[in-house]
Amino acid sequence: MHKKMAFSFPDEVLEHVFSFIQSDKDRNAVSMVCKSWYEIERWCRRKVFVGNCYAVSPRMVIRRFPEFRSIELKGKPHFADFNLVPDGWGGYVFPWIAEMAGAYPWLEEIRLKRMVVTDESLELIAKSFKNFKVLVLSSCEGFSTDGLAAIAASCKNLKELDLRDCEVDDLSAHWLSHFPETYTSLVSLNISCLGSDEASFSALERLVRRCTNLKTLRLNRAVPLDKIANILRHAPQLVEFGTGTYTADVRPDVYSDLAGVLSSCKELKSLSGFWDVIPDYLPAIYPVCSKLTSLNLSYATIQSPDLIKLVSHCPNLQRLLVLDYIEDSGLEVLASSCKDLQELRVFPSDPFGAEPNVSLTEQGLVAVSLGCPKLQSVLYFCRRMSNEALVTIARSRPNFTRFRLCIIEPKTADYLTLEPLDVGFGAIVQYCKDLRRLSLSGLLTDRVFEYIGTYAKKLEMLSVAFAGDSDLGLHHVLSGCESLRKLEIRDCPFGDKALLANAAKLETMRSLWMSSCAVSFAACKLLGQKMPRLNVEVIDERGPPDSRPENCPVDKLYIYRSIAGPRFDMPPFVWTMDEDSGLRLS
Amino acid sequence: MELQLGLALPTPNMLKGFDLNNHGLDQLKEMGGLEAWNKAAGCFADKDCVKSKRSFEQAFGNFTEECRTKPLLLWSGQPNEEEDHKDQKKATFSTTDENDAEEDDQVVGWPPIKTWRKKIFQQQQQPRVGRAENNRVAENENGRSIYVKVKMEGVAITRKIDIKVYHSYQSLTNSLITMFTKDKKCNEDDYILTYQDKEGDWLIAGDIPWQNFVTSVQRMEIVKNWG
Repeated sequence: MHKKMAFSFPDEVLEHVFSFIQSDKDRNAVSMVCKSWYEIERWCRRKVFVGNCYAVSPRMVIRRFPEFRSIELKGKPHFADFNLVPDGWGGYVFPWIAEMAGAYPWLEEIRLKRMVVTDESLELIAKSFKNFKVLVLSSCEGFSTDGLAAIAASCKNLKELDLRDCEVDDLSAHWLSHFPETYTSLVSLNISCLGSDEASFSALERLVRRCTNLKTLRLNRAVPLDKIANILRHAPQLVEFGTGTYTADVRPDVYSDLAGVLSSCKELKSLSGFWDVIPDYLPAIYPVCSKLTSLNLSYATIQSPDLIKLVSHCPNLQRLLVLDYIEDSGLEVLASSCKDLQELRVFPSDPFGAEPNVSLTEQGLVAVSLGCPKLQSVLYFCRRMSNEALVTIARSRPNFTRFRLCIIEPKTADYLTLEPLDVGFGAIVQYCKDLRRLSLSGLLTDRVFEYIGTYAKKLEMLSVAFAGDSDLGLHHVLSGCESLRKLEIRDCPFGDKALLANAAKLETMRSLWMSSCAVSFAACKLLGQKMPRLNVEVIDERGPPDSRPENCPVDKLYIYRSIAGPRFDMPPFVWTMDEDSGLRLS
Repeated sequence: MELQLGLALPTPNMLKGFDLNNHGLDQLKEMGGLEAWNKAAGCFADKDCVKSKRSFEQAFGNFTEECRTKPLLLWSGQPNEEEDHKDQKKATFSTTDENDAEEDDQVVGWPPIKTWRKKIFQQQQQPRVGRAENNRVAENENGRSIYVKVKMEGVAITRKIDIKVYHSYQSLTNSLITMFTKDKKCNEDDYILTYQDKEGDWLIAGDIPWQNFVTSVQRMEIVKNWG
């Protein structure tokens, strides 16, 4: 019989110590120390994060963590955001809700990303979890306002309802009135994605008025400008606010009403919305600008002069999302006014136009990199780039953790030298030693992947498109990037060799996506057969892959590690390669 | 120009273990991707292989001779014949494009902009029904935005502005001055604003009431004042 060590702590003490450990990585490490720690830890884990809903089954999660209160699930691969994953691929949340509803009723928080959520799922949530508090649906689809009505009606303790970037079937705006008059616990509401044109303003107003703890309110486009004042009047405690449409006939009374109400919101730190904005109403927000740390103007089609004026009023800005109307000149002003800037995202106003419509080039990014010492995260769409600029950026801003550059025309070379941008991106990975996420674009050869494999040791996510010359490129990445978890590739000449040679690496990653590349069906079958802990999914809308020669490239390939085995909810255009694929190599 | 990067490239030793068939590293390196390519190329010549909608080369003309390998990327063509089950969720980039001429040049999912953001963008720039020429770039029937091209003599970039954003000639010219003086240092008195109306005539801006101007302007040009 195993004698307990004299110096070991009682379980309760360990549990108490573990309660201070919040990060999943740390908790996973704790659980590996010894059997008794594994046991203690699993009983007291309250938050579970499942990065790929098909990596594990709901039953497995519930069996291991019997008392979690909060779950976060992610479904479709990232490229689903850009229409590369056909509809019906998967990512259904219902099986998870059904299992959890049966297991225990005290679940409090559900956070989902890129999953298919049906009204049935929402109704089941509303019915099953009495103390339900937080529902965050990010880039989800499949539900309607009916499902939301069920949540509103039943979840008496709901604190957070956040629908960011979801596709919701807007049947009726009256779902808001399903919140009972006695309901007051709302802290955060984000309905910015709802399209309904007849929003229920009075229900919204009444809701805001009685929820005195409301800190975050993001309205949708349908809420007109002149209604905002009425809503804000009852919520001066708001910290984050998203307007609806920011346009109206210019009327001094509407303006002063709005300006007055905004200036009474002393806690406001974040603004967003600004659909259809007209410059005349912008000064209304100037009084709150000095406290703003986050500003999302990515729907605002105002031009550079107005953007510059606005930005110069916000010296404490840490996060800015904006359209490329800001132009290089605006970014220069940003660089000199906002020394606390940490994150910048510049979106294209005319991404499908053949010629540039604004004067936004690599210079803007250089200016911000030189001027903002705390800048660590960038998403930048532009039409030209040079190695020189990238080297300058890398040298001046080695603290980048996320660097995503999208040069709009694929395979665009360095505009000064007409060379590939290998050296430029090489500098980024060499100097930015903490880089966790990188997106490449422009003309790139295998060389850039050599650099990445050599230097990007902390890189966790890499996005590649229209780059590289041969399998060597992919090999460099798979063999060199030690921290790599997610790799997504499209339209690159990568084939079987690199993939098969680095098969073991795939088990250390969450997932690999390859579309319009050169991986053959035979290689997929081999991989599926040899690697039982990988799900190798071939997605091909042209028809069954075995109706073509085995050495034919597959259309799309999605490989992910899983202990749940192959899934059973696949649509007809998805095939899983497993041990039974009947492998026959030619 | 020399870029003093000083990046030490990895030596071939890194490729140890890459070779699946024990053929030796050098052989593999020499092959580079060519052999894999030719294999794939062979497959595409094979008539059993479903013809891709467009080859990579057709899609991206700016492929230089320096490219060693023949690119052969399978076009993940979204068959247009198939019916669209749900609305825009399934819509590819090419079906939502404004201009028919551009449709063939569009690549699925590129540039990488989220679907909902593209939708907003398209709502803001709906094409005018039945319009062949695209001077008046886009007009939204709900009157939300009207985009008009503005060119200035001597400046390369043609800008597009939303006319609906302004409510008077004054606010329009103020904004244009600020926008264009960045590109070209000039004295504002040296220039006049002209516009092309529905009939195709070029007129000096300012003569007709603002609202009439908004509905009739097709495009604008800032020209030197010789008067």
